[in-house]
This record gives sequence, C-alpha cells and structure tokens, in this order.
Amino acid sequence: MTDQIPAILVLAPLFGALIIGLAGQKDHRVCFPVTIVSLLVSLFAAFGAVVEVVRSGEIDYFMGGWEEPIGIGIHLHIDSLNAPLLVAIGIVSVLVAIFSIRRIGDKNTEKTPHFYSLYLMLCVGLFGITIAGDAFNLFVLIEVSSLTSYGLIAMGSSRRGTLAAFNYVLMGTVGASFYLLGVGYLYLMTGTLNMQEIHTIFLANPDIASSKAVAISFILILIGIWIKMAFFPLYGWLPNAYSYCPSSSACILAPLMTKISVYVMIRVMLGVFGIEWVFASPGYSNLVVWLAVIAILAGSMLALAQREIKKMLCYLIVAEVGYMVGGAWLADEKLWGLTGSLYHILGDAAMTLCLFLAAGIFAKRFNAIEIEDLEGLFKKAPWTAAGFVVGALAMIGVPPTCGFFSKFYLIRGGIEANHWEFVVALLVSSLVNAVLFFRIFEIAFFGNKPPEGHGHHEEEVAELKEEHHPEIPTWTGTSSLLVASAIVILLGIFNGEIVELIRIGLEDLPQFASRL
Amino acid sequence: MRLSQIFATIAVVITGCILLYGVSDFPGFGDPHSPANAGVPGSESVSQYFITESYGDTKVPNLVTSVLADYRGYDTMFETVVIFAAGMAIFAILGAVGGGGQPREQSEEPFFVNGDHSRIIVGTTCRLLVPVIQLFALYVIGHGHYSPGGGFQGGVILAASFIIIALSSNLNAALRRLSEANYLRIACIGILIYAGFGVLCQVLEGNFLDYGLLQPVLLTDGPEMARSHSMLGVEIGVAFTVTAIMFAIYANLSSRGTLRDGL
Repeated sequence: MTDQIPAILVLAPLFGALIIGLAGQKDHRVCFPVTIVSLLVSLFAAFGAVVEVVRSGEIDYFMGGWEEPIGIGIHLHIDSLNAPLLVAIGIVSVLVAIFSIRRIGDKNTEKTPHFYSLYLMLCVGLFGITIAGDAFNLFVLIEVSSLTSYGLIAMGSSRRGTLAAFNYVLMGTVGASFYLLGVGYLYLMTGTLNMQEIHTIFLANPDIASSKAVAISFILILIGIWIKMAFFPLYGWLPNAYSYCPSSSACILAPLMTKISVYVMIRVMLGVFGIEWVFASPGYSNLVVWLAVIAILAGSMLALAQREIKKMLCYLIVAEVGYMVGGAWLADEKLWGLTGSLYHILGDAAMTLCLFLAAGIFAKRFNAIEIEDLEGLFKKAPWTAAGFVVGALAMIGVPPTCGFFSKFYLIRGGIEANHWEFVVALLVSSLVNAVLFFRIFEIAFFGNKPPEGHGHHEEEVAELKEEHHPEIPTWTGTSSLLVASAIVILLGIFNGEIVELIRIGLEDLPQFASRL
Repeated sequence: MRLSQIFATIAVVITGCILLYGVSDFPGFGDPHSPANAGVPGSESVSQYFITESYGDTKVPNLVTSVLADYRGYDTMFETVVIFAAGMAIFAILGAVGGGGQPREQSEEPFFVNGDHSRIIVGTTCRLLVPVIQLFALYVIGHGHYSPGGGFQGGVILAASFIIIALSSNLNAALRRLSEANYLRIACIGILIYAGFGVLCQVLEGNFLDYGLLQPVLLTDGPEMARSHSMLGVEIGVAFTVTAIMFAIYANLSSRGTLRDGL
C-alpha cells in the first residue's frame, strides 16, 4: 500500500466529495461522517508519507504508469520538504471539519452538502498542489482549490462576503492566468512540463537558462503566485474575503491557502529554476526582501488600525506572508532563511488556525465582531480564551511556541545574509503584535472598554451581527481549538526534529552540495 | 481619466512590454527544431514521443485524445472536477434547494401555446432540432478517439439540447427531462466513472489510471486495446459531468437559483 500513498492522499477526499454529492442531498446526516472519514484516511496517508520519506528519502509516483521517458506522464513527488506540509493540511482540515459541525447549516441546512462537498474538493486541491511534480498539473489543482474557495467564501449570507468573493474571483483569475502564461513560456523553451526535467535541462543548457524568455516566465509565475498568496502590493482581495465569509470557510482558507502558495513559490524556486539561478543576481533578491520588509511593516501597521477581530487577523496574515517570502529570498550562504520560511509555513498554519478558530467561536457564541466586544471573555469562556492566548503568544513569538523558533531561524538567516532591514522588520512586527494582542488581553481580562463612540461604523457592524447565531455553544469548536493550540506548542518543542527533516530535504537537492 | 484608470493603463502597458520582451527570445513560429517540437540537447521532446509512439502505446489514432485521456489523464480528471466544483459553488451561492426530485409546483405548460404563432414556429423547429443535436453529441463523445471531439465537447453539445428545450418552451419542460436531483447525481456519477477506472487499476496492483492493466476486465486483446476502451469509458464519464453541470448552471443562473420560470 505504501507505494500508493500519493494517489490515496488526493483520492480519499475526492471520493468523499462525490459520495456527499450523491447521498448528501437526500440525507444531510451523511455529510459529516463521510467528510471526517475521508479526511482521516488522507491524514493517515500523510503520516505514512512522512514515515516513508524518513525511511527512504522520497516517494515518486507516476500516474498511469508512464515513467519512461520522463515527462510524458504526470509525476507526483513527495520529499522531506512537502511531507510535513501534507500532515499540516490533514490536521488542519480534520480540525476545521470538527469545528464546522452544524455551523454552516444552522440557518439554511440545504447548503450543508454543498459546503462539505466544496470543502473536501478544496482539500483535494491542496493535497494535489503539495505533491505535484508537473508544472501544468499544479495549475489544474490551483484551479480546483481556487474555485472551491470562491464558493466557500461566497456561500455565507452576508452581501459583503459575496462582493469580497467576486473581488477574489477577479484577482485569483488574474493570478492563475499569469502562472499559466509562465508555464507556457517554460514549455516553449524546454519542451517539457515535468519540474525535475525542466531543472535538468536548465543545468545542462546554460544558454536556455539564461534566455530572456525563461527570465520572463519566472517573473510571470512569481507574480501569479504572489497574487494567490496576497504578498504585499497584491493583497487587496484578502482582508474582506477572509473576514466576511462563514467562520468555517475562513478557518480552513486562512491557515492553508496562502501558506500553500508560499510552498509553491519555494518549490518553483528550488525544484524548477534552481536556487543558483534564482539568486544569481543579488539585485533581484534584495528587491524581494525589501518588498517583504514593506509587507511586514505595512501588514502590522494596518492590523494595528483595525477594530474588527477577523480583519486584524487578516492583516496579520499579510505580514506573515512577508516573513515567509522574505525568508525564502534571503539567499544566505547556509540557507537558514529558507529553512525558517519552510518551518514557518507549518507554524503559521497552526497559529493562524488557532486564532481564526477562536475568532469564529467568539463570533458565534458571543456575537463578538469587534475587539471591544471581547470584554470579560476570560470569565465567560476560559478555554476558548486560553486557546486564543496560545495562538496570540505564538504570533508575538514567545519561547515555547513555534512562533519563537521560526522567528529565530528567520533572524539567523537575516543576520547571515546581512539583511538587517529584514531583522528589524521582524522585531518591529513582533513588537506590534505584542501591542495588538496585549490590548485584546486587557479588554478581555479587565474589560475596560474605550469610551469613544463608533458613529457610522456601528451600522456596518450591526449588519454583520444579525447573521450570527449564539444558540449553539458546542464543545466541538473549543476542543478543536485546544488541539490546535497544543499543536502550536508541540511544533515549538519539536522544532529541532522538524528543522532537521527540512534540512535533509534541502541537502538532497543537488545544488546545495557545495553550500552546506 | 480617473486615477484608477491611469494606474490600470500603466500596469497593462508594463505587462505588455514585459511579454513582448520575452517574445523576442522565442524560437521561430512553426520552427521544426524548436524545443517544444524537437527537444533540447540531452532531452527528447515529449511531443516527439507522442507523435511517434502514442499509436503503438494506445491504438488510438487521435493523439490529442491519447495525451488528454491517458498520458495526462490525471489532469483531465481534475479538469472535470473543476467543472463539478464550479457547479457546486454556483448551487451553494444561489442557494438551490436539493432533494426535490420533481420540478416545483409550476403548472405543466404545453410545448405549444395556443394562439401564439411565433412560439409554435420556435417550438416546432427546436423539437426537430433536439434529437439531431443529441445524436451529434453522442457521435462526438463516442468518436473522440478517431476525430476531434470527446467528452468535454460532446457534453456541452448534449447540454445545449436541453438548454434549447428550456429556451423554446420553459425551464420546467427541460427540468421534467433532467430534474435537479438527477443532474446532481449524473454529475457525481461522471467523475465516479472516471476515478473508478483509475481505482480499478489500483485494485489490479498498478498505478492510478494505468489502463493497460484492465485487459482482463475489459476482455480485450492486448493492453493497448484496453487503454483505448478505457479512454472511451473516461470520456463518457467526462460527458456525464459536463452535460449535467452545463445544464445545471444554465438552469440556476437563468432562474436566480429558484429553478422556476427561467428566461
């Protein structure tokens, strides 16, 4: 069975989605068990993949058995860079599925099968993107995950959510088109779509690798992925889309979509173009690091200006994307920046999950949309508040949590690469996060509400509040929040092992033999 | 000009310049020695392999179909999933109610409305057209191996026949033939057929979509013919999903998700 792991990863949720489509319409009770079972199968396969990768290095899977000559069929590839990410996707999707029981359906249950079917197809897309070894296959799966996420965002009852989803459709389509255009240029210059094969061709033919068309294709792919991950100047779609959609959708999209896009960027940099090619001229990597610095500072400052909890978290995501992109482009000799960025993908998925789950529970149970609404929260819901605190401490970067260690590796990379502006940006952003979250803790613990009035803003918030239903305080949301916060701490405690796994993956890439 | 328009124009011009800059390095148009046609030193071109070997591998004369449904069948399966996901997203957003099975309480309007002569002409013409369109659709689906065509094209044509019924009479007349519960079912069954072929190969201890292994199941002579027949099978699966979703999208959009009246 172990050799079928890559296929099982994507097929289990796909069959789940189809079963829900067939049987879920008649009986909505089918939906939830099918979702959980198929995601658990995928999670189990993801653990299997990690074990197999630790044992034997990497897993290659050729669809349809078309192995030779390389490139005629579709190649799936798991190594120690993406195996931990598969587990992260599995865990996040299972936890959010548990959180989402009966939540989507409380008002209009007829949407339940649609929600779970889209949800599972989103997971298919995310797993598929992570294991794709073929540049066009990656595009197809980006489309699967994007289309399902448009649906998940727009299916709430808020009109602003629908508008935000429409914005996201436009931006997302532009991003995907840029990516596809870049892949087209690559195919034109190399005659293959297989990532490893393209990389081999570049190494063997320096004249092709140094051509203008290849450079343009890299820029097109990069911009396409940056739109998908909401990197700084291209983040406009994200805050509204993630804060006005149903809580369950936000909880699955916020931790995974942007992080998977960052992974795609790193995979393209390492696996297709090769790190030596990408960092050949330091001017470009300096430019990207400066963009990341602006992203971090702007994201943090904009987060500071928000009154709504989810909006604030969304701007924090923009800042976190800056961490990861900047880290990946630091180009320090020992690649600690890249290591930190890959580790931060996992850590950020866990802490974003924590915070969004908590924000979802606040909104559902206490009608708390704005930060001021959290007054007295520690008394009303101590467990939820505890989970929120863990997520917040990880965002600030307090030691036992994973946030501290990812910042540690990123700062180490920044120092070794002499990018002091990146180090300063990281520290400033940590400080801003501390201010942000301790302001929330103060309100939630001591309950001193600022006296100022809201004016016009209040009406908008009131519109949002009508749509929330406090009648279902369940243990499910809190328990998945607590598991998520435990993972945030465990990721921090076991950071050594995870980083070692990532380093093994980096060392396996041929171009690092000289560097490490 | 507004400020946003100026920015948009600048962005478009810059993008256009970048694209043109890249084009200057392209291999010549129709160049037989370009990398995509002839490969690069040290690496055979993929297209060269498809042109010379695909008939031997699959016994399918139309090599586009063999690339689409066999060599890159995994992509095509997800293209079908994309269509299914688009349909699901539209149902979810418009809030169509599931599980009805029968069209809503709307009165059974006859195909012809007495006294409205223009509708008689339209109705008769369309009634004559529909079977021809459907027959052609089935031909396109079934003949995809040998000539341009296949599940996507045939599925769209088949869906067009239902849309013509809806346009010439009303939505209810089309929903009587392909009801809401049924089109959802058909869409799922289509992908199940496709993925089922793949999983069957896994059961026979091969990789997903390795059709050659289906030889003992399909009782063909040689794995090549098994590949050919499996491709027909997955094309039919694609056609199921595409037909159902295309019609469903029309039905939902034209009636704002209520499935009543329509255009």
